Amino acid sequence: MKSVTDPAGEFMRKLLRLLRWRLWIQEKLQPTEWQVTLLWAGLAGFLGALSSLVFTALAEGVHSVLSGSDLGVVESMRRLPWWGCLLVPALGGACAGLILLLGRRLTRKQSSTDYMEAIAIGNGRIELRASLIKSAAALFSIGSGGSIGREGPMVQLAAVIASWLGRLQGFTPPQLRLLVACGAAAGIASAYNAPIAGSFFVAEIILGTIAMESLGPLVVSAVVATLTVRVLTAAHVLYRVPEFKLGSPLEMGPYVVLGLVAGTLAPWFLRSLRQSEGFFIALKLPLVARLAFGGLLVGGIAVNVPQVAGNGYSVVVEILNGELPWRLLIGIFACKWLATMSSFGSGAPGGIFTPALFMGASAGYLFGTGIHAVWPAAAQDPRAFALVGMGAFLSAASRAPVMAVIMLFEMTLSYDIILPLMLCNVIAYYTAKGFEDRSLYSDVLKRKAEEQPAANAFALSRVSDLMKPKPPVMPANARFADIANSFLKERINNIYVTDDAARFLGVVALHDIKPYLHEPDIAELVIARDIMREDFPHVGPDQPLTEALGRFIGITAERLPVVAENGELLGSLSKSDLLLALVEKRKKPGEAAA
Amino acid sequence: MSSVNLPTDLIAHPDVVVPHLQAGTGEEAIRELHARLCAATPAVTHPEKLLETLLERARLTSVAIAADVALPHARTDAVERMVFAVGRAPEGIAFDAAHPRVQLIFLIGTPRDQVSEYLRVVAALSRLLRTEGVRAAMLAATTEDELREPLERTMKAGR
Repeated sequence: MKSVTDPAGEFMRKLLRLLRWRLWIQEKLQPTEWQVTLLWAGLAGFLGALSSLVFTALAEGVHSVLSGSDLGVVESMRRLPWWGCLLVPALGGACAGLILLLGRRLTRKQSSTDYMEAIAIGNGRIELRASLIKSAAALFSIGSGGSIGREGPMVQLAAVIASWLGRLQGFTPPQLRLLVACGAAAGIASAYNAPIAGSFFVAEIILGTIAMESLGPLVVSAVVATLTVRVLTAAHVLYRVPEFKLGSPLEMGPYVVLGLVAGTLAPWFLRSLRQSEGFFIALKLPLVARLAFGGLLVGGIAVNVPQVAGNGYSVVVEILNGELPWRLLIGIFACKWLATMSSFGSGAPGGIFTPALFMGASAGYLFGTGIHAVWPAAAQDPRAFALVGMGAFLSAASRAPVMAVIMLFEMTLSYDIILPLMLCNVIAYYTAKGFEDRSLYSDVLKRKAEEQPAANAFALSRVSDLMKPKPPVMPANARFADIANSFLKERINNIYVTDDAARFLGVVALHDIKPYLHEPDIAELVIARDIMREDFPHVGPDQPLTEALGRFIGITAERLPVVAENGELLGSLSKSDLLLALVEKRKKPGEAAA
Repeated sequence: MSSVNLPTDLIAHPDVVVPHLQAGTGEEAIRELHARLCAATPAVTHPEKLLETLLERARLTSVAIAADVALPHARTDAVERMVFAVGRAPEGIAFDAAHPRVQLIFLIGTPRDQVSEYLRVVAALSRLLRTEGVRAAMLAATTEDELREPLERTMKAGR
């Protein structure tokens, strides 16, 4: 029949062997589009963790340059002379302002850099340059001891990198949004060493759904990020706390009250931050001067109360371990509130997540101490109240009670307080909601609700919005060798066959040719049109998404061809994109009503 | 069940066998086998259309799978089930430049939607021809029965 040395035959046999091998791998691993998404989510998690580590290192570097000390922010403030305390935060504010000012020149167009916005109402694109500038500015406001969290910028940075990664890969908007969400989850997971909270925060607050389609990638990303941080650094439980136990069921009573207290304080806290913002804007100072002034105020407070500097982490640890006397704590609590108003109000780039934890911890501790004084049996350990207060305050401020419970648990690994924590968080949530329907993140989410009927719902409602153009195609007379080659090169299971005018003719399915990959005779004989399926379902570019989903029913294909009315092949539609878009759409009516 | 055994049954019992093709060229061979096939079975509902598709396909790329074996085939609505014709040309027919002496011709018509069935038949045929003695027995056949016998015997043995 065929001589063994025939080079064409040899080539064909090699090709078929490769294709069989590819199929074998595919069947063992079955990398569906979801699994590929998970891989990208993992990569986003890894890069997010790296960016968090780099940001932390840089912030510490800025801090040691500005303050001349390698110690923690609070400790170095304590050691600085009074003029140093004033100068360092003011200088840091000025630097941050300068960077922002220069940045405005570099990035002319007004574009959003907020990751929440990019996920919730945008298309997942975050301006890379503008975001990096913001992060650089944040390094200074944070490194100089501003009363502001560094975790916010870390999350932002991780999300930006994910967005950049997705754009490099040409992701469709739903995929890109999901990847940005993964980046954000990775940022939170690595900033707080809290993978569960990281994934649930993004799901609960930003995506507004815990459907497995989106939660799965978030979890993968958060896990990879946490692992990365744990491998590269000596990461540990964020807040080491003594063991607590619920002394008696009676203690639940005060915890209920603590929930009410935290639920009342948190909206006040947020409102005061907004008022302070208005105050600073009313000063009409130039940006650099405004940020320097904000820093100066923090420095002024820090001269006497160094504990207000920074995000408050080290002080929270002291509170949780009962190392701060309550009289002192009252003063610190008030000063920290003012300092955060100064930093945040002046527009210092940074987050207020950790400052919020501080407010909750000190409020809880003070409350617990008070109860203990009048009725010791009902509050045996004020430190437990500090812990629960943190969670309650967070729950009330972020309006994400589930995330708050999980995060508190992950940050302390203390399961003993879970019962009061859950109860208190929920009560704080409802209390805060009753006061004011705004949260830390409400502005973005409110805009999201407003924009939904118009921009977004319209933007992703038809097949053409999700379609990926330029699918791999081949002519009807393509030889088996070419078909096999295409299947090897492209990670697809169906190759579309078109005529000279790019009109769709049918589909060659890898599934069909699979059993014959060891038959060189068939390979010699068969061309695309012998084995293409003309009856393969396809969708139109103007079809609504739900209708398109119907075409996927009963078939195993991950993608369907998009074919115009004149028969032209326009692109392909992926089932996972479609499901993502539909999951997002489904949750929208409820949110718009909220 | 019938679809599982379809290749075996079809090949074991061709719709028509022609021990002595008169044709001198590949196209003539296809026309001749096609005419005999259409006369033998009502399963070809549109004979002209089947012929047209067979010839068009043969012009597109070679339908020979070995120096002495050709496999003209068409996937078309012109048949209501898979049809199969076998022809023998002891002197050899020139199908194309690369295949100047084709002695065995297997003609297949497949309904459009039976892609995997079609591939199964082609694969079974190619295995059949690799089976020891089958090719020689077919080339030596002079009557229809002699031509059918190796097909039936081998397919039954392979079952």
